[in-house]
Amino acid sequence: METICTTDSNDMDEMRLLLRNVSKFCVRPSLLLTVLLGFTKDPYPNIREVALDGLVELSSCIVVEDQSLIEGCYFRAVELLFDCEDSVRRSAVCAVSEWGRLLVACNQDQSKKEWSDTVFVQLCSMVRDMDMKLRVVAFDALGKIRMVSEDILLQTLCKKALPATKEKTYCGQLTAKLLTLPASAAAFAFVHGLEDEFHEVRRSACRSLCMLTAVSAEFASEAVNILMDMLNDDSVVVRLQALETIHFMAISDHLKVEEAHLHMFLGTLLDRSDSIRSAARNTLQSIKLRNLAMFRLAIDALMKNLEFYPQDEADLFLVIFKLGRTHGKFVGSIIREVFQELEPSFEGKLAFDNARTVALLVLAISVPVSFERRICTVPPQTFSYAVIQLGRISRGLFDVVNQDTLLAYLSHCSRFSLVSDSEFFKGEEPALQLEKSDVLLCQKSNDTSEAHLTSPLLDSLANLHDRVTSCAKIVLRKISDIWRLIDLGCMGEVIQTLRSWKEELSKFTSDSPQTVGVLAFALQYIHVIKLLGKVWTRILSSRNLRYHGMGVLEVLLGKIDKRLQDMRYRFIGLSREEELHLLEIMLLSCVLRLSYLETCNLEASLKKICTISSRVENLCKEEAIELSNFILDLQKLLCEIGNSSDGVFENIYLLQKSLKSFSLRQIVLSGEIKHLEAELNVLDNDFQNPLPFISGLPVGIPFEITLYNLTSEKRLWLTMTVDGTSPQFVFLDLHEFEGCDEIRKFTFVAPFYGTPRVTYFSLKVCIAMECLSEDVQLFKDYEGPKPELSFLCKEIEVHLSTPVK
Amino acid sequence: MAIECLVLGAGQEVGKSCVVVTINDKKIMFDCGMHMGYLDHRRYPDFSLISKSGDFTNSLTCIVVTHFHLDHIGALPYFTEVCGYNGPIYMTYPTKALAPLMLEDYRKVMVDRRGEEEQFSSEQILECMKKVTAVDLKQTVQVDKDLQIRAYYAGHVLGAAMFYARVGDVAIVYTGDYNMTPDRHLGAAQIDRLQLDLVITESTYATTYRDSKYAREREFLKAVHKCVAGGGKVLIPTFALGRAQELCMLLDDYWERMNLKVPIYFSAGLTVQANMYYKMLINWTSQKVKDTYATRNAFDFKHVCSFDRSLINAPGPCVLFATPGMISGGFSLEVFKQWAPYEGNLVTLPGYCVAGTVGHRLMSAKTPAQINIDQDTQIDVRCQIHQLSFSPHTDAKGILDLVKFLSPKHVILVHGEKPKMATLKEKIQSQMGIQCFDPANNETVSIPSTHYVKAVASDALLQSSLSPNLKFIRKCSERGSDFGGLDARTKPGLKVFR
Ligand SMILES: [Zn+2]
Repeated sequence: METICTTDSNDMDEMRLLLRNVSKFCVRPSLLLTVLLGFTKDPYPNIREVALDGLVELSSCIVVEDQSLIEGCYFRAVELLFDCEDSVRRSAVCAVSEWGRLLVACNQDQSKKEWSDTVFVQLCSMVRDMDMKLRVVAFDALGKIRMVSEDILLQTLCKKALPATKEKTYCGQLTAKLLTLPASAAAFAFVHGLEDEFHEVRRSACRSLCMLTAVSAEFASEAVNILMDMLNDDSVVVRLQALETIHFMAISDHLKVEEAHLHMFLGTLLDRSDSIRSAARNTLQSIKLRNLAMFRLAIDALMKNLEFYPQDEADLFLVIFKLGRTHGKFVGSIIREVFQELEPSFEGKLAFDNARTVALLVLAISVPVSFERRICTVPPQTFSYAVIQLGRISRGLFDVVNQDTLLAYLSHCSRFSLVSDSEFFKGEEPALQLEKSDVLLCQKSNDTSEAHLTSPLLDSLANLHDRVTSCAKIVLRKISDIWRLIDLGCMGEVIQTLRSWKEELSKFTSDSPQTVGVLAFALQYIHVIKLLGKVWTRILSSRNLRYHGMGVLEVLLGKIDKRLQDMRYRFIGLSREEELHLLEIMLLSCVLRLSYLETCNLEASLKKICTISSRVENLCKEEAIELSNFILDLQKLLCEIGNSSDGVFENIYLLQKSLKSFSLRQIVLSGEIKHLEAELNVLDNDFQNPLPFISGLPVGIPFEITLYNLTSEKRLWLTMTVDGTSPQFVFLDLHEFEGCDEIRKFTFVAPFYGTPRVTYFSLKVCIAMECLSEDVQLFKDYEGPKPELSFLCKEIEVHLSTPVK
Repeated sequence: MAIECLVLGAGQEVGKSCVVVTINDKKIMFDCGMHMGYLDHRRYPDFSLISKSGDFTNSLTCIVVTHFHLDHIGALPYFTEVCGYNGPIYMTYPTKALAPLMLEDYRKVMVDRRGEEEQFSSEQILECMKKVTAVDLKQTVQVDKDLQIRAYYAGHVLGAAMFYARVGDVAIVYTGDYNMTPDRHLGAAQIDRLQLDLVITESTYATTYRDSKYAREREFLKAVHKCVAGGGKVLIPTFALGRAQELCMLLDDYWERMNLKVPIYFSAGLTVQANMYYKMLINWTSQKVKDTYATRNAFDFKHVCSFDRSLINAPGPCVLFATPGMISGGFSLEVFKQWAPYEGNLVTLPGYCVAGTVGHRLMSAKTPAQINIDQDTQIDVRCQIHQLSFSPHTDAKGILDLVKFLSPKHVILVHGEKPKMATLKEKIQSQMGIQCFDPANNETVSIPSTHYVKAVASDALLQSSLSPNLKFIRKCSERGSDFGGLDARTKPGLKVFR
């Protein structure tokens, strides 16, 4: 200690070094803090600065549970916010930010909020400091705060004290002498930052603002006004940051664009800087424009962009396509106005050299895949015009769709014009025509958006069973058409179509076991396709992956696997084609999991793929069915992976590539499908009428069970679970119960052993079936169920309570 | 030791800024302005209050002038050449360069146009300027062995400065006019955190809370863009220095980004000379101008060309900058007469217009309107009118921010309107706990000053490092404990996990 007491400059350097490396010492942290705090009062600014830096460093590697200690460090840092030296104040801002963070972390609920606001306002009070670097640091620190009251946030955009913050004060300092911190110290803080002289400060303020718009929608809607004005900033970096912030707000659904904003915003589409124009387009495509006038302004600006900067063409087409897709209802009226421009001239030549015309075509062809429900007519010949410009258009839409699919899509749309003379576009969704019969499943373009199954032939069919089955079959056959839309990324459309089919099918009720089976199968299948579609679109657009995270993907794939397993084991009478179909989707799911989920177990997944694919091969051989491209690719790939020393990791991109060859085959229901189902009930039991039990002793529960289509060799289990514990299984030996395979109804008193030490509890009960696939050997003496279980009914809740004496 | 402030001008009013501050036996005159609203003796500060004998050279230690506006410098030639002050005068380099232009311009207007008695001649202006010592920003000037002064950037206009003055342990800051918000061509005021006994600040907008500058810029650009997009002509009457460069940079930048081809004109004489000064004095402009200087001088406007009279009635849209600002005559009036009758055209007006000017009449007019230029001429005004709200002065928030940052012991408000100053004074006292004064002209404010006891560094260091007896100011914890002698044994909640 003595050596550092002299003011010799060498020693001073030594001391700075010492303090800079404070966290590396093996000194009791409390002692270290004491020493550092002592140095924060040093008369030498250098020492005060490094002492504060030391505090900052310690804050990240120390656990302090004593709040008063944290408060001590925090308030010492606050005091030094008013130091005479710029560098000390800068370090003090960092220290306030870091120790403020600790302070917030060690509090709960209301006081946590209060402290978070306190730190926020304290940092806001520094944004008018005269030191530029300090202002940058202060705004950076503001952006790190995750919890701020809306009132305070709104105050940062308003110069006068708002009623909500007028009287509020916090613990802190306004000046060296004033030892309370009024909430009004936050006034205009962000606007000051955004109009700062230095672009470094403006950028930092803009970035932090971006982070905080996620906290409050109200704040975001206020902030957007000034952000739009920032687009007029003279620094490219700042304009870019402003666009990024607006984009972030748009995708987090906190953006409301007014017509007044558009002048400035659309102006950026004509900016001289490529990166600004590109960012502007990127932002525009995620913006929702509320009326036709706004949409028209946007399209006009995009056209101007194309006119002035022809090099942007490809990207512009994509943006126009995406914008058209999200604003389908406006596109119609625009296309009608400009339709003459699109029509061929008298010589039969098309005036297509004009980039504008092609851009309008791109806009027009976005309509059928629009997410909007009400779509105005786009003349179908437009699609044939677009075919001529296929190459040019497809360059732009490369991200969304490849050229082949685009061609198929365009010719599909234009063919309809030949057959039914634009009938196609009167409906909201593609009309589904059946080749053999005149049974027509079509959607009407009414506002209720309900789909109807109508056909004279259908109505005349007396047999309900036949009618239901044929409807289900029609739907299932048509689902493969839907795949094209999924491939285009038009999930909104797909989901709505599937939903309307599902609704239509659910309307049928029937007692016939075959009909029930077919319906159940069709509904399950539709659900699987829906899930698959969601996964597919998520993978198509990397943006979604980034913002929705892997977690969602994992959940979706999990659901798909569960459903597929259910379909495979809970239906009997599936034909080999049907089984093949399901197996192929299973394989797809496995490949998806393997290529996109980091968390997946590589070996297990690979083994599963091998098992399924060999089963597929066998089935194909037996039935003399050709293997699909997807399976062929996959098998080739498995061989390569097996032979290469790189392991699966190196080959993941190959797996991903194999996904490209997948397309959904048409599923044709042929056999008589029966659904394995169970009903489970406990008579007169609810929350008010619990069954009696005595804690610690087993209790018998009388279940009423109905089983459908379950032959006696199926192995069924009752699973009974108390929240938070592992389930108890009771075996149901079907040989013991009367009834036939179609329906078996009986009462069964099941014992439950693990009654908890409470006066009341509820038990979740379900009937599960072991899934016995060919490749799993059956051990008769096996205790408890096989790991793979399929649940046959909805889980019920049984209420139990200790009788009152 | 006390500080005495004699307010000779700009006390509870705007005009003839002049404050004489006495610290010990040093007497500093801050600004020496004239009042544009008076033509009698009231136009100058009452210098007799400084010295009954009229020996100003010996009464004053020095004069400090903050910027070239006439209400801050207009009385200087009179004071030196007529009243005979011969002592040192300090101002920044740009102020020294631009002041003679302003003074000469003023002299011409008074003598040539209004036919008034000459207050000082062109020669006297030059003589006066010879006595000026130019200073640079942040350069500490030792006026004599006791008095130090230092200039800080003030924004406002090219060359404007705040001045710090120190005698012994007593230090003050006189702000002059300043702006806390940067604009396109000038930066925001910039000063160090100093230990101050007194801050004398302007308070032109003592109760105004101005909105974001982006909104002002947007409205201006939108109006101009809309007009030229519709084929109209835009007339922007401005003064030669300041707003013209600001607006021109804004437009030039916008033109560049938006790829606009419509010509922007500067009327001859206006600005060519002024732009030259800006180019020379690049260090006194905003950060952005300085940043881009290496690649391109921001005052080399890309899209601006000089105007020829024959272009007035040329077809097609254009933007024209012309003097004078309030359309009180000259070229801007000539063009106004030609362009005003057409609906598609646009005329912008500065935020403030003197009564009697065409600009002033337009401010309250609703188009279409009939405006009388003189007895014989009446103009049918049908064009659009856009009121500019750019201002080179800080607003109330800016004043409070500066006072908060400097946290002086006392504040004196000058250069404002009486009732508004009273409101601001109340705010400074109640919110900041700082004693504040708003003296009228010719009043003196006496301020006691305290000595700072300077700790000898080594002693204090020794003390703090040998016995770190820490005391925190505990602001809100109810438990309110002292942290002296922290120890891990008594603070078990402390763990290091690295
Ligand atoms: Zn001024």
